[in-house]
Amino acid sequence: MDLNYSPEDREFRAATRRWLETNIPKQELKTLDERKAWHRKLYEAGYVGMLWPKEYGGWGATPMQQAIVQDEMARVSAPPAINGLGIGFIGPTIIVHGTEAQKKRYLKRMLTAEEIWCQLYSEPNAGSDLASLKTRAEDQGDHFVVNGQKIWTSSGPIADWGILLCRTDPKVPKHRGISCVLLNMRQPGVEVRPLKQITGSSLFSEVFMTNARADKSDLIGDVNGGWAIAQTTLGFERGGNALGRVTRYVTAFNQLVKATKELKRGGKPLIDDPAVRARMGRIYADLEVQRYAALRVLSALQKGDAPGAASSITKLSYTEFEKRYYELALEILGPFGQLMVAREEFEEVDTSSGEPGTFATAFLWSRAGTIYSGSSEIQKNIIGERVLGLPKEVRADRLKA
Amino acid sequence: MDFSFSSDQQLLKNSARAFLDEHCQPATVRLLWDDPRGESESMWKEMAQLGWHGLSLPEAYGGSGLGMVETAILLEELGRAAYPGPYWPTVLSAAAIEAAGNDAQKKRWLSAIATGDARATLAFLDRDLDWDPAAVTTRAEKSSKGWTLSGTKRFVPWAHVADVLLIPARAPEGPSLFLVDPSGAGLKLSPVQGMDLATRWVHLEMDSVPVAGDAVLGAPGQAAALLSGLLRRGAVGAAAEMLGAARRCLDMAVGYAKVREQFGQPIGSFQAIRHKCSEMLLEVENSHSAVYYAAWALDAKAEDHELAASVAKAYVADASRKVCGEAIQVHGGIGFTWEYDLHIYFKRAKALEAMYGDVDYHREQIVRRATR
Repeated sequence: MDLNYSPEDREFRAATRRWLETNIPKQELKTLDERKAWHRKLYEAGYVGMLWPKEYGGWGATPMQQAIVQDEMARVSAPPAINGLGIGFIGPTIIVHGTEAQKKRYLKRMLTAEEIWCQLYSEPNAGSDLASLKTRAEDQGDHFVVNGQKIWTSSGPIADWGILLCRTDPKVPKHRGISCVLLNMRQPGVEVRPLKQITGSSLFSEVFMTNARADKSDLIGDVNGGWAIAQTTLGFERGGNALGRVTRYVTAFNQLVKATKELKRGGKPLIDDPAVRARMGRIYADLEVQRYAALRVLSALQKGDAPGAASSITKLSYTEFEKRYYELALEILGPFGQLMVAREEFEEVDTSSGEPGTFATAFLWSRAGTIYSGSSEIQKNIIGERVLGLPKEVRADRLKA
Repeated sequence: MDFSFSSDQQLLKNSARAFLDEHCQPATVRLLWDDPRGESESMWKEMAQLGWHGLSLPEAYGGSGLGMVETAILLEELGRAAYPGPYWPTVLSAAAIEAAGNDAQKKRWLSAIATGDARATLAFLDRDLDWDPAAVTTRAEKSSKGWTLSGTKRFVPWAHVADVLLIPARAPEGPSLFLVDPSGAGLKLSPVQGMDLATRWVHLEMDSVPVAGDAVLGAPGQAAALLSGLLRRGAVGAAAEMLGAARRCLDMAVGYAKVREQFGQPIGSFQAIRHKCSEMLLEVENSHSAVYYAAWALDAKAEDHELAASVAKAYVADASRKVCGEAIQVHGGIGFTWEYDLHIYFKRAKALEAMYGDVDYHREQIVRRATR
């Protein structure tokens, strides 16, 4: 057991910090082109596609280096790279399951954000029970004709390509009739409608496919072999942002401390109220434990141990923590905590959480974490079955199969 | 960056598990409930022979020179077995003597502790149960032969079997730490038992207890920082023990959920039970991260070692209370019976929660450090 960063990692962190100091955008990035330009700059510096093999345009870096970059970016609230779904999950899936032609055609342009990617998995009636998805893909020899609807699609309006799970055989048990195919989003048969969330913004969208075309050459793996591929895709979805996430929590905590020094109760700063102190002590312990757990995950990744089902514990832990965290922040801040934009007349109390947006924004967003990428309930099923070895539940669809 | 145990550390863990599975079964713990001493002399000696008592003592005193991580590994296993005895108070006292004692004091006590020939304990709490070492009210007055101590010490673990008591008291110079002979004049010991019958506490009444001039550990008036450090070390150790108790309860609950059938199925197949067990595992794994981070931070003298100790104690206290309690819930009625072993660990975790700084104390330490 040794939790010191290696001299190489410390040097890498220092170099990253220096690079960010020089290169961080001076003004807010407004247009997609500006965000793409910043993305390319990050890529050329070696800070995007870090875990990808060099032969596919990546940097062959270590999970620790990737986490350090995310952490340093969080520290200075640098705008993130784009195409996160593509680079984090879809690209690695193509690397593992794709053909040489697919790798050549898609990977480099994904890394440089020349082409933006989205994930077409969830459907209105296929959420936690993803395998019950209904979007049909009919085999037309050299291509599929796709009909159906997807939902919760991030980056939908800006996406050029999507990774699609679709039903290619409705007659076999549900897990066995699903295929995975790459879909061109820029075609007449694909319509994207933004979906407004409880935050008021529209980061997700609905995608309608009406006789859309997907080429056979864009099939990933075998026909009806898509479910196993979807499992690897989900598996890539955890780990790299471990440190950056915690740094953002700490930034928000420091903002909260600032506010509790400004707000008064009985003529005394809120921070001197024992009831407030006790709750802040509790949540900060919780926060620190998220940090230790992140280091533990990184140490395992660094040694090449695939976290597997144990990554469900991590996801469950930090998403549930986020809800408790921002709930507490809003309790302490009172009505100030409910401001969606920082207001000038309240300037003595800074309601921003340190990230773009206020505590209210973060509070609302925290409700999403325990739903996306497998809800908390699904994570607990996975932990129960695959980590603790508890018997599978008797389910109506399993009885049928 | 490596958060996993080294092969030596894993070996230590395995051998501790094997020893305790054989020598410290629930039946052993139950037998000692009615024992006036409350511990087994033979187990104590065997543990010493395995090198446990001197684990973190210098080799010159018969120790192995290992750190808090190894000590926490042992304490987790001891907690898992609900080991009854003065192991942690003795080892913590040895750390105090090693850190602040003079050569004569070290010679007198450290080798004897390493060989299992001496037991020691530390009296953190005065009459008011204030964990702040600077708040000590027991008085130390200078006398012709050295000092006299007067005051009350409460909930001193295992003082009735100790060969030496480490007593904090307020000297004219400030908080000081004294080595006191438990059989000395003016000292009255009364045993106290809580709901965990295997945790033994003692109340001490001191009425002008004479103490020799050379019985001060370190310089008079300089003990506040030493005691704060010992309290933190004690807290990390207690957190490791609570973690062990929690993991034992989780294992029992999961094992039971696999075999207990209701409605024609193992109850572990129901989400209501499975989700509860998953939440328990989450708390146990987070507790593991907290305990070993804090133990490593102590060894490495990391910048945040003080914070980490309080985080570990505060977090694991909540987590172990929840996990051990939920294990009873998963078991249903059988888990509430005296015959079933769950309450042994449930009560042990609860007893440790109140020791080495309770949750409120450590949360306050956390806030102080986090809001600076």
